[in-house]
Amino acid sequence: MMKAREIMTKDVVTIRGSATVAEAVKLMKEKGLRALVVEPRHEMDPYGLVTETDIIYKVAAFGHDPKKMHVYEIMTKPCVVVNPELGVEYVARLFAQTRIRRAPVIQGSLLGIISISDILRKSDFVERPKSNFELYCEENPSAIEARIYED
Amino acid sequence: MMQADEIMTKDVVTVRGSATVADAVKLMKEKGLRALIVEPRHDQDPYGIVTETDIIYKVAAFGHDPKKMRVYEIMIKPCVIVSPDLGVEYVARLFAQTRIRRAPVIQGKELLGIISISDILFKSDFVEKPKRLFIEDEIEIAREEARAVCAEKGSNSPECAVAWDVVEELQAEASHQRKKAQAS
Repeated sequence: MMKAREIMTKDVVTIRGSATVAEAVKLMKEKGLRALVVEPRHEMDPYGLVTETDIIYKVAAFGHDPKKMHVYEIMTKPCVVVNPELGVEYVARLFAQTRIRRAPVIQGSLLGIISISDILRKSDFVERPKSNFELYCEENPSAIEARIYED
Repeated sequence: MMQADEIMTKDVVTVRGSATVADAVKLMKEKGLRALIVEPRHDQDPYGIVTETDIIYKVAAFGHDPKKMRVYEIMIKPCVIVSPDLGVEYVARLFAQTRIRRAPVIQGKELLGIISISDILFKSDFVEKPKRLFIEDEIEIAREEARAVCAEKGSNSPECAVAWDVVEELQAEASHQRKKAQAS
């Protein structure tokens, strides 16, 4: 199974929660990104995420002035984070169940960001789809043998 | 206000509902697209859409084989469609209220393009020219409130003056928006 680490986007940009939404949009336009990671303020602070959806749904849709609104007002924090070793099929399942489309990949520090676009474009779910049973067998190699002997 | 057809992506690709999901993924990878439009089958048939979210949530998340699943099993049809002359702020509002991120732009029966939250983010002027959509409604309410305050506290009271200041500020903002709209 491919892992989150193999298909994540390593080019990730962070922003402070106190920045204005206009600054976030400028950064996203410059870097061609759909989301920015909000860095923890201290060791005990969780990671956050601000996406294009947050900006369009919560600012543009109301005609609020992005220069007068701040990232902390619209960000998702704490956000769902993904372990770099998590299998791509499990990332897809996690995203479907939590109704999200991207999450930072974190192990100790911020390693990258993984999105449904990464899964669509870079993973092998078309060439090698994995059913629950196949996933289970990958993790428990003895499962197939156990089934045979039970019969 | 900018219109949907000014910022939409004109490079739009269609797929048949009977195509396999694997074919759809191949097409999306080749063209670098996040969604495909499902063409109506006949005059009375509505437009549909299949997005990367549909594919990841409904196929990849379950380990289903994309070669054995069809677009019609996971597409959204009928889908929300946008008129080319709809203001960008209203598109944002529509998307937020229906929790969607993209929609085909259609005039009559003709597919003109596709508009997404990325188009709004990257191409619209919502940062430079934020537009309060319902400022006339806000003015109406501020006026009613000012009248009520003045009736209660007296027309020479400071509260009454403050309440009318609010109305004037809103009116100034509205005329500012109108001027900007005319200039653009």
